[in-house]
Amino acid sequence: MVRRVLGALLCLLPTLAHAGSRELEAGLENFWYRTAATPLNRDEILGLHRTEDLLRASLGWKESLGSARVVFKGFAERSFGSDPKTTWTTRQAYAQYSWAGASLRVGKQRVAWGSGFAWNPTNRLEPPKNPANTSLEQEGSWAVRLDAQPAPWAGLILVASQGDAGAGDLPFATGARKRNTGALRARFLAKDTDLALVMSGGERQPTLVGLDVGRSVGGVALHAESAVYEGSELAPARPDERFFRLVAGALWTRDTTSLSAEYFYNGEGYDAARAGAYLEGLDAAYASATNPALPASARDEALRRYLAGASIPFASGLGLRRHYLQASWSRGEIRGQWTASLRGVVGLSDGGVALTPGLAFSPRGNLTLSLDGVLLLGPDDSEYRLAPLRGAVQARVKALF
Amino acid sequence: MSSLLLCLLLAAPTAEAIVRQADRAVLGENATYTLRMTVERPGRAERVVEMRGWKKGDDLGLVRYTAPARERNTAYLRNGDSTWLYLPAGEKVVRVGPKQNFGGGDFSNGDIFRLSLIKDYDPTLVGEESLDGIPCYRLDLKAKDRSVAYDRVVYWVRRDGTFYPVRADYHTLSGKKLKSLAVSKIARVGSRERPTVLAMESALETGSRTTLEFLAIEDDVKMDDRIFTPSALEKGE
Repeated sequence: MVRRVLGALLCLLPTLAHAGSRELEAGLENFWYRTAATPLNRDEILGLHRTEDLLRASLGWKESLGSARVVFKGFAERSFGSDPKTTWTTRQAYAQYSWAGASLRVGKQRVAWGSGFAWNPTNRLEPPKNPANTSLEQEGSWAVRLDAQPAPWAGLILVASQGDAGAGDLPFATGARKRNTGALRARFLAKDTDLALVMSGGERQPTLVGLDVGRSVGGVALHAESAVYEGSELAPARPDERFFRLVAGALWTRDTTSLSAEYFYNGEGYDAARAGAYLEGLDAAYASATNPALPASARDEALRRYLAGASIPFASGLGLRRHYLQASWSRGEIRGQWTASLRGVVGLSDGGVALTPGLAFSPRGNLTLSLDGVLLLGPDDSEYRLAPLRGAVQARVKALF
Repeated sequence: MSSLLLCLLLAAPTAEAIVRQADRAVLGENATYTLRMTVERPGRAERVVEMRGWKKGDDLGLVRYTAPARERNTAYLRNGDSTWLYLPAGEKVVRVGPKQNFGGGDFSNGDIFRLSLIKDYDPTLVGEESLDGIPCYRLDLKAKDRSVAYDRVVYWVRRDGTFYPVRADYHTLSGKKLKSLAVSKIARVGSRERPTVLAMESALETGSRTTLEFLAIEDDVKMDDRIFTPSALEKGE
């Protein structure tokens, strides 16, 4: 699939040689993680080194010619640590053509649905964001997207996509499955309010119905994004239960300072009893997997159960627990050379905290260096401390031409 | 004598007519333009951003940054009373308020996208006076409602028949001056002569100043309303 799309894009290159606009970018990214033995990594069974390192060289190319556009973004990654290897990842590779009131986009692309900053309950088309660091560049999904705008106040988007259900940018395999999804988003602008109705469904996933609302009140922009669906994304499968998710937040900006806050209710997230049962199940599976009195086949089966259970927080869903709060602050220096930021996600159900201070520096108009730290704090049985990570440093350099 | 006074009264334009003419002095009803914004802050190096803009009537406006490269494709959209910001890094459209500062400068989003004052303010012609040697009408503009960026504007417009704005002082309801706008550099840009530089100075922070310079303007451009929508904004159209 990747080769076919890249081939098609390269065929288009001569046609676009005299294009109206061309944008190129090159970058280096280094994601350094400090790992730990936790209930999801008993006795360091994942085989992670104390530090894991992902070094990436990224490239981007965007060419526009009249109503046509071709975009390509990707990176080569060399992992250092427990599993040294070099891989290629395509973040985006699509061609788009627009005509009166409509556009068609084919290829790997970001869909970026939903008004939520850290969580998007109406978006099952692409991998979920990392709520601790929403500034990371996300990978898109292979998709065909048709946008139609019959009137300035109304629009319709149809998407058929295949994308990962789990989070990216982690130094271990998440066990996330691919999901095929078809989705429709009807959006309206009525009385200065953004309204969007979303329906999506697909292979091994029940239909989701969502509502997204945005409105400015005074100097504050407010948003609420919600979804209702039957059957859980997060294991264990609960096919006959109906779940509700809601993200509600606000953004305030002035000069080069912005403040945002967002609350997330994750209806399918574990309550205290289910979280306790989940950890006990993991303990029991691991105890069986390491019990020499059991036959090898039983130990192997127990180990499979343990690893499947340990991957649950990363394989799908938007969070393990019910209630979350995210807040962020950023302030830029007036020339735009320095920007400082601080993001925090608090798991209100378990007291876990992911804190992400960041600093970006642009010595020239086309060069940006950014450095983010991720600190995972809170009780040891909280979601962010269960992960086999204790912190991360994410450094990026990007040059634009 | 009474007939002469009547003639003079009939000849003097109304406050509405003056503001209406001044509203169209820089940009016509429908226009595309190229703009350079320079933000100055005391003790700090200035920030320069270039952008391309589209304007249709008083309610529809779109501005896309073209330089520097790190801010390229950042865009602001105004449709009615709503304003959105497109952040290319996250490919995300977010709502922002009309009173918020545009691009970190001294202009509010409302100033940039609604260069027209007649829709938002009730004008009164207070008198005539000279400003820097230029004969002007002096007008007092009161906001029709609290949703606009400023409660009161004192506005000076040239009395030489061009109706070019010269200066505007923006006040709160209590009379406190917030900002002052100076309009200058009459030059032929596009199809006609017009003021091409708008400089907004903060009255609250000495030395804070943002200058907008129109580098190119094309008037009477036909535009589809659909380019002024969040959907088009997020697709980069």
